[in-house]
Amino acid sequence: MSNYKGKLVLIGIAVALALWLLWPTYRDYQISSQLKQLSGTDSLQFVEKHETQIREYKAKRIKLGLDLQGGMRVVLEVNVVKMLEDLAKNKDDVFTQVMNEVAEEVKHSEDSPVKILRAKFEARNIRLSRYYGSLRDDNDKVASSLEDESKKAIDRAMEIVSNRVNQYGVSEPTIQKLGGQRIIVDLPGVSKESEVRQLLQGTALLEFKLLKDPEVANKVMYAIDQHLASIDTTGDLATLPSDTSAQALAADTMAAATDTGAAATSVDSTKINTPEGELTPSEFAKKHPFFSLAMSIQQYPGVAIVEQQNRDRVRRLLDREDVQRLIPSDMEFLWSAKPDERLTSGGKKYFILYPVKKAAELTGGVIVNARATIDPSFNRPIVEMEMNSEGAREWARITGANINKRIAVVLDNSVFSAPNVINKITGGRSQIEGMDNIDEARLLEIVLKAGALPAPVEIIEQRSVGPSLGEDSIRGGVFSGLLATALVVVFMAFYYRVAGGVADVALVFFVLFLLAALAAFQATLTLPGIAGIILTLAVAVDANVLIYERIREELATGKTMRAALDTGYKRAWTAIFDSNLTVLITGVILYQYGTGPVQGFALTLIIGILASMFSAIFITRVMFNMLLDRFLTVIDIG
Amino acid sequence: MRFFRKTNIDFMGKRHLWYTVSGIVILVGMISFFVKGPHYGIDFLGGTEIVVTFQDAVPISTVRAAMDKIGIGKTAEIMTFGSDKDILIRTSTQGEGSSIGDLIRGGLKQEFPSNPFVVQKEDKIGPKIGAELRLNAIYAVFALLIAIMVYIGFRFKFVYGIGAVASLFHDVLVTLGLVSLFDGVLNLELSQNMVAAFLTLVGLSVNDTVVIFDRIRENQKIFRNMDLITVINKSLNETLSRTIITSGTVFTVLLVLFFFGGEVNRGFSFTLLIGITTGTYSSIYIASAIVVEWALRINRKAAQHK
Repeated sequence: MSNYKGKLVLIGIAVALALWLLWPTYRDYQISSQLKQLSGTDSLQFVEKHETQIREYKAKRIKLGLDLQGGMRVVLEVNVVKMLEDLAKNKDDVFTQVMNEVAEEVKHSEDSPVKILRAKFEARNIRLSRYYGSLRDDNDKVASSLEDESKKAIDRAMEIVSNRVNQYGVSEPTIQKLGGQRIIVDLPGVSKESEVRQLLQGTALLEFKLLKDPEVANKVMYAIDQHLASIDTTGDLATLPSDTSAQALAADTMAAATDTGAAATSVDSTKINTPEGELTPSEFAKKHPFFSLAMSIQQYPGVAIVEQQNRDRVRRLLDREDVQRLIPSDMEFLWSAKPDERLTSGGKKYFILYPVKKAAELTGGVIVNARATIDPSFNRPIVEMEMNSEGAREWARITGANINKRIAVVLDNSVFSAPNVINKITGGRSQIEGMDNIDEARLLEIVLKAGALPAPVEIIEQRSVGPSLGEDSIRGGVFSGLLATALVVVFMAFYYRVAGGVADVALVFFVLFLLAALAAFQATLTLPGIAGIILTLAVAVDANVLIYERIREELATGKTMRAALDTGYKRAWTAIFDSNLTVLITGVILYQYGTGPVQGFALTLIIGILASMFSAIFITRVMFNMLLDRFLTVIDIG
Repeated sequence: MRFFRKTNIDFMGKRHLWYTVSGIVILVGMISFFVKGPHYGIDFLGGTEIVVTFQDAVPISTVRAAMDKIGIGKTAEIMTFGSDKDILIRTSTQGEGSSIGDLIRGGLKQEFPSNPFVVQKEDKIGPKIGAELRLNAIYAVFALLIAIMVYIGFRFKFVYGIGAVASLFHDVLVTLGLVSLFDGVLNLELSQNMVAAFLTLVGLSVNDTVVIFDRIRENQKIFRNMDLITVINKSLNETLSRTIITSGTVFTVLLVLFFFGGEVNRGFSFTLLIGITTGTYSSIYIASAIVVEWALRINRKAAQHK
């Protein structure tokens, strides 16, 4: 007589626990379907009435991965090298050169950027304290404080990103750290991708950079132009200015660039008069591949004007290695964030290309407050910024030293405005202009207030799934699961008769426990996860098959039913244990090395193996004992 | 109901034939693999991948023309993704943020102004991550093989560990080769999901091997005087029923997944279908066979010493 009563109670408790764990998922599903049928104010009222309930159910239910519910996942990486650049003082040419080397090496090395930086300076016999910390600090002290800063940077970045995401209002976002330098942001249900990208990509690295003097800038652009013309034998690079006004601009370009003062005039729409004689537009484009795209006009000295549709081409030209070599190492080209309001000839939009000094004079870490408002004197939206005392001091020094020069306000490597410094600014207040409307100003305010990141953050991975693909995937997954289960159930009943039926009942328990465990662990169900469930279903069946085949063998040697059952279970156990353990090891390794959906798969594999062992061995055994005690003397096992 | 009454097949007797068969299959597969080269998805190469569904079906050649216009036509992979209204475009060209994605979408809008489309899925992977994922995948495979060899060497005898790992190597090579062969007929590019599939098939293959080893271990204890080859054959015959049924069940389940599980799961289930087949096969003709060869060598050495 086996005391299966105790075991029955245990199973009963397990089932009750499982149902309790799955209750939120069920209710959440119910509520969502109800909501779909209501509309407008009805649905709003419904949500208000059941608000706490809804939130609770959402928190405790089985989470669906992004590949099932649609949404976006972004992996951000903190650019420590840039941070190290910004933290330094007294930056000179040597510094810039060393930083360039560090940036290159970081791409290939596993060492921390601080370590690499230190090695490079020590190789040149330069003390770190020349650029960081106070003069008396030795290299160890400086290095460790820099390492500290970089660790804090990622933490701050996480805070800031969560801040922004929460302010923006995504439901159930997940933000996690990954390793030492990365942040994963999951945004379920996000459909306005472009806005979110702007929010996250807009990592609010605010910098103030000096514009290069017009003579220097023009010389560089001229050099680029000549170089491209000389290597361009096939005329591929030539792009025609698209209309007469643009051609006129192009003509101005030549005058400005070669500084001859000869005002080139457009004779007619087919020829451009330049210091080199009359040229047709195509000849002009061939001779000046850069200037025909990045035009320079007298009203905007020292910068280039680019038509919106030509921006990518110019970008690609500037990215070329041979062109990069022509740009001095302390200079870079930055684009305006938006098309210029005042340049709208012929209905076209023009962006401005600014040549700036690479090293920032001041970074946004000194901003303590930002406010979107309307500038009363010009009636346009602006964002007012307030700096801390250190920032105010630096700002006064910088503006004082650069009167009549232009300083660009750079947000995430886009120039928002580049006002002229009229006088020294004390008190630390400044303004950003250039927004189209007050909403844009407010978005900028959020971005600035939620913090200027101490280090810029790059998007290194980005995946988004539309909701309809998600629904299809769920439907396909559920259907496959049901069909597979049905086939297995039918087979077991046919092949193993009553015993097969027992195994089938155990399968039901298995699925129940599996889902409950997923809910309990707050695991995320992904599409590979569904595949994992289906797979562990087969493994669960394997355990039963092992046991039943053994029982059949024992019966063939003439044992009684009970004896055969006992031996069967006992002998099969070692095989089940070893084989399931190896699949478990596989699951653990997959979990360790995988990311996202693969981890979801690994988790369902692990949970599935454990649940299958419980139901295939324990539950079937109890059922058999019950049957033999109460109803049958022999169990038909086929 | 029985599929197999008492069988008495001499599995090990025919093993040399099957060594040759395995060798040929692996050779063909590896030739395909090295000639075609490994077909990496953007998970490993980095780049951008986008799946769109058009209202009306579009010919791939037109899509390629559109991609040529925006400058990525030469490097882009373009294929259907399920139906002929679903198009997958993949390129390893890198751009800032989502600029390549924007570029592609803009190009498609220009080319098909009257045929609206919906973006189903858009992925962008930076170059550094691609290299990392590749490295991680390799680490994972090796970690698994070592873990399994240690575990089996520990639970059984050392030579069994070798046999098991050899059979796993065999399975991975066969599957890799056949996946490369069929790549084109199906979307079988190497992605993270595929790596998961390979690791799973290793797990399932070992599962199968272990059951057989367990029976061999048990029979050795009972029939101490029987020679190893006979014990192995006996064990194989005794476990045949279970092997066929379990492998058959898993195979059926995977078949269901292959046909109804959606396009995303197709490569995954196809890989596992091959994997489960070779896994079952290798448990007999690689894992157990190696144990046999080892036993024969020991016998020969012993006979020489006599």
